[in-house]
Amino acid sequence: MRASRATARLVCVLTLAWCPSAGPLVAQVTDAAGPAPTAQQLEFFEKHVRPLLITHCYACHSAEADAPETELRLDSRPGILQGGARGAAVVPGEPEKSLLIKAVRYADPLLQMPPSGRLAPREVDVLVEWVRMGAPDPRSEAAQPAAPKQPYTVSAEARQWWSFQPMREPAVPVVQNERWPACEIDRFVLAGLEAHGMTPAPPAEKRVLIRRATFALTGLPPTLEEIDAFVADDATDAFAKAVDRLLASPHYGERWGRRWLDLVRYADTSGCNSDFPIPEAYRYRNYVIDSFNRDKPYDRFLREQLAGDLLAAEGEDSPSEDSNQRRYEQIVATGYLAISRRFSSLAEEFHLTLDDTVDNFGKAILGLTISCARCHAHKFDPIPQEDYYALYGIFQSTTYSFPGTEIYRHTQDLVPLVPAERRHKELLPYLERTAELDARIFATYSHMATLDTGDEKNELRARWQAMQKERDELVKSLPDFPKAYAASEGTPINARLHLKGNPESLGPEIPRGFLQILGGQKLAAGQPASGRRQLAEWITDPQNPLTARVMVNRVWQHHFGRGLVRTPDDFGTRGAPPTHPELLDYLALRFIEDGWSLKALHRRILLSRAWQTACLENADYARRDPDNERLWTFNRRRLEAEEFRDAMLAISGALDRSPGGAHPFKPEWEWRYSQHQPFVDDFATNRRTVYLMQQRIRQQPFLAVFDGADTNAATGVRQVSTTPQQALFLLNSEFAHEQAALLADRLAREAPQSRARLDRAFRLALGRPATGVETDEGLEYIERIEPLLASAGIADRDRSRAAWASYLRVLLSGNEFMFIE
Amino acid sequence: MTTLQARRWERRHVIQSLACGSLLLPGIVADLLAEDTSRQSADPLVPRPPHYAPRAKRVIYLFMTGGVSHLESFDPKPKLAADAGQKYNGRTLLGPQFKFAPAGQCGTPVSELFPSIATCADDLCVVRSLTGSHFEHFQATLGVHTGSLTVKRPSIGSWVSYGLGTDNRDLPSFVVLAPHLPYAGTQVWSSDFLPVCHQGTRVAPGDEPIQNLHRRSPTSAVQEMELDLLARFNGRHRQDRPSDPLLTGRIQSFETAFGMQRAMPDVLDLSQESPSTLALYGLEPGSTDGFAWQCLVARRMAERGVRFIELIDTGSSNNWDSHTNMQDHVAKAKNVDQAIAGLLKDLKQRGMLDETLVVWTTEFGRTPHTDGPTGRSHHPYVFSSWLAGGGVRGGIVYGASDDYGYEVAENAVHIHDFHATILHLLGLDHERLTYRHAGRDFRLTDVHGRIVTDIIA
Repeated sequence: MRASRATARLVCVLTLAWCPSAGPLVAQVTDAAGPAPTAQQLEFFEKHVRPLLITHCYACHSAEADAPETELRLDSRPGILQGGARGAAVVPGEPEKSLLIKAVRYADPLLQMPPSGRLAPREVDVLVEWVRMGAPDPRSEAAQPAAPKQPYTVSAEARQWWSFQPMREPAVPVVQNERWPACEIDRFVLAGLEAHGMTPAPPAEKRVLIRRATFALTGLPPTLEEIDAFVADDATDAFAKAVDRLLASPHYGERWGRRWLDLVRYADTSGCNSDFPIPEAYRYRNYVIDSFNRDKPYDRFLREQLAGDLLAAEGEDSPSEDSNQRRYEQIVATGYLAISRRFSSLAEEFHLTLDDTVDNFGKAILGLTISCARCHAHKFDPIPQEDYYALYGIFQSTTYSFPGTEIYRHTQDLVPLVPAERRHKELLPYLERTAELDARIFATYSHMATLDTGDEKNELRARWQAMQKERDELVKSLPDFPKAYAASEGTPINARLHLKGNPESLGPEIPRGFLQILGGQKLAAGQPASGRRQLAEWITDPQNPLTARVMVNRVWQHHFGRGLVRTPDDFGTRGAPPTHPELLDYLALRFIEDGWSLKALHRRILLSRAWQTACLENADYARRDPDNERLWTFNRRRLEAEEFRDAMLAISGALDRSPGGAHPFKPEWEWRYSQHQPFVDDFATNRRTVYLMQQRIRQQPFLAVFDGADTNAATGVRQVSTTPQQALFLLNSEFAHEQAALLADRLAREAPQSRARLDRAFRLALGRPATGVETDEGLEYIERIEPLLASAGIADRDRSRAAWASYLRVLLSGNEFMFIE
Repeated sequence: MTTLQARRWERRHVIQSLACGSLLLPGIVADLLAEDTSRQSADPLVPRPPHYAPRAKRVIYLFMTGGVSHLESFDPKPKLAADAGQKYNGRTLLGPQFKFAPAGQCGTPVSELFPSIATCADDLCVVRSLTGSHFEHFQATLGVHTGSLTVKRPSIGSWVSYGLGTDNRDLPSFVVLAPHLPYAGTQVWSSDFLPVCHQGTRVAPGDEPIQNLHRRSPTSAVQEMELDLLARFNGRHRQDRPSDPLLTGRIQSFETAFGMQRAMPDVLDLSQESPSTLALYGLEPGSTDGFAWQCLVARRMAERGVRFIELIDTGSSNNWDSHTNMQDHVAKAKNVDQAIAGLLKDLKQRGMLDETLVVWTTEFGRTPHTDGPTGRSHHPYVFSSWLAGGGVRGGIVYGASDDYGYEVAENAVHIHDFHATILHLLGLDHERLTYRHAGRDFRLTDVHGRIVTDIIA
């Protein structure tokens, strides 16, 4: 990065950041009185200036402006001299000091007016000349002082939107067919069906159900033993036992943790232009998986991710011998904040990372598009810009671990996961040395960036590079200790509103706090902390109408293929209203009552008859309810990328079921990544797909083809695309061919006899025995393909394996394997 | 009968012949064969009419990586030469390092870096007032592709694919010929929230131009057996599930993949090209190196109906990013100059230039002042690009930078304007080409964009 202007700005912004008390750089307000304009000057104004202002400026900067997003008024002399948030628009006689001139010159990319396009040079000249002559202006009537901005209040109307209303205990509906419901969920669903003269589909067959449930809870196919045991179990609670078994499996966390990782756009790299690796990110990934496996209450799960370090410091848990481990876990949880996306190499663009945090926090946890209020009040939902910056300030007061960038290739602010004593004795001296060296490296770079080409610059560059090498050596010499890529408390500061979202155009200071529509709690003035602790409480308050609703909707969505609210990341007025609002509230209230237990919620849903219906077609119903919103039948769904790959590995026997650990990144002291040579790698593994290393600059190739989650933005709904590239993967990829061959080997071992082998293949892949037709067809296929393989030069001893692999790969390519019913 | 239809017939024969004398159920075969006629249903890539009469049917987007100096390519600055060595904004001005001469009938000045492109000057509409980019490669590259300088958004090629669909289902609608990953990696051709079928498919020279393109089954006879068996599995499965479009779509995708597996090697098989064509592009027979290969493949894709063909000349290293010495531009220009001229001439002689919009662009220009001793730094305030064919006025220069090429002096063309104009030439209204995502309608041009009508023929 050698863009001189950029780095000059970098230095400037950082200087401001270091001095949080520094005031805004606004021009002095000039006295409105001035020498009376001459007739000639007034003529100039009327002929040239007024038309120009009317044409290009009044739409936003006058009393007539529709929706003034600014205080600046250009329709009177007092208005111009008083100016807007940045100060006076014009300093009479001083074009070079006048913001108006600066803006129309378009020289500063951050202050360019009119925004629709630059004025013609002649028009700019007119304005410059006018200012130089003292800005003569007959419009002396004081502008209607822009009405002082009313503090924002949420209107009663806005509060009426369903999702902002408190959750209400619904009356469980009365149904005609009393024999059908197994639980309250069923009553809600059945009531909806009966109201439209529809009846639910019969229950799914047991083989279908166990395949459905096993993929639903673990993302893996059932084993032959699991299928047989379930089919043989005639007890009335056979399915309940199976669900409990699946929820107790460590694979449950891998499956459902992945859903959370989708939402928080998890990646093992930073997303900056060089996509620096984050070797410690895996700890957060494993924390998520582990939390799901332990059925950590969802409210606590959220609190830990926002403020785990503070909970740890408060000793929320009783001190015990494993209190250190608990503490570390809670620190790791704040990886949620630290994995926010990084942009470019410039510290000055860190505001984009904070924006990313707010955006993700809103969508993933609250189901609100808060980020729409970054530049202006949300156009549709009751979220003023102030609310955006009330949250922003909380994250701005937080220190995120730094992953390194091209300019500065070392990590900073990682949190050591060691006992306080060790930290103090062993690490502190090192931490002090690195901090000191970091400061020098930074100062050198900043100075260098301001210099023109020449010896001094070259000398500084050499010094800067030498210091980075010194830093490498320091890292290298360090004792190995576990650390977390996490968040910690920074300098508490209220954010200043970014006018039009521009971080260099600062408006009033906004006290840190919560969304007004959700209570509008504020931090106590002078609060010596970021406010994450309070934020964690506000969002998990059982009175909060969104947090529980949003999460139960997500769980419902994954079990039924679609949420009760079809827009799971948007519960605002642009989102879809719920198809079954009472059911949604019923589930949300039970969720809270159950101590925010997700496993209890799964149990509730899976044990309903609504979830256990067969997957059928009905032309009449399809016409009346094309999206099956009333849920008369189970929605067929395609395997997600992870399920597909994991199932192939599981069936072939190649799946490594052990949990994944750290990825084999190069050590930090060898990092030389740059925008020209960004980090790009694949670390092959036969572990579950959730453990694959995922980047932000380059999508993991397999996941890119099969609609994997976006590592750059919250993915609430996976796309289900059907592309020829997916088919090519099955036809031609090494992976597909290898798994088929391994499955052939496995079957040859386990079932030497051909008919039994075919049958076993069907049971493994599809969860059912082969039919007579399928068996005959399979035998014929093997028989017919062997000569083709022989003529293709496949040696005798390999031919049978190749023939079976060919057959099995087709079996695994079929729709029956790829879809869950 | 077109080759495509012919091939479908061939495939039918394969299926039918395999059906003879086996346990195949005839009903299922008929079902499978019926697919060919019903494949258009609910297909997001089906050709769609534009909003109004288009001037171009397709785009070839030539992206020069690293930031080509406007001052050494299409924007001559005599005053910069005169004031070389002086200080400007605290920096030392560097005079243009290459000579310009008027080219063609129109006399558009082109630098000596591009002697071949200069011979096409009468077809070029040079824009010297592009602006709205970013200081850094990553964001700037993202910007000229997606209109967004910060977060990933759908690429312009994805928008065009979404807007117009494609005429040839055996090839992707949006192809990116890229030997190396550019800045911002695969985000450059991401469809982001648009359906994945609109994502750019990267084609790289070498053994495997597209992932998993080559048949891995030992012979085509074996593969056809496999596809036939798959059709039987899927056909039986579908008997009780006739109306699920996802099942049907997936069955069709194997047919399309089979088609692509044959169509793609064909489009990449340059042995069908005459020696004179190869010479026109400056391509050695058998070579897959360099931009000449990319340009010739682009023409072949254009002929076969690919909607948006992007060519990225180099990757995120060894590109036009000449910080220390502008002479580094020489090799980069040599890589592309004859190839691009060859492409323009070839399209023209085949009568395709009128309906093919060729766009030449880069992520930003370079500073009028030095960075390294005789190099230049990144410059997003003003830079140059050109368009040709597809409804643009050839032989003109639009917009101007100031005397040093520091800022736009007149007729600024913001990246959003550039995109709006490209869409317009394709018959797409940038304000109507929207996609509902996260609660609002998104556009390539966000809430901006002005169609630069002055450059339209």
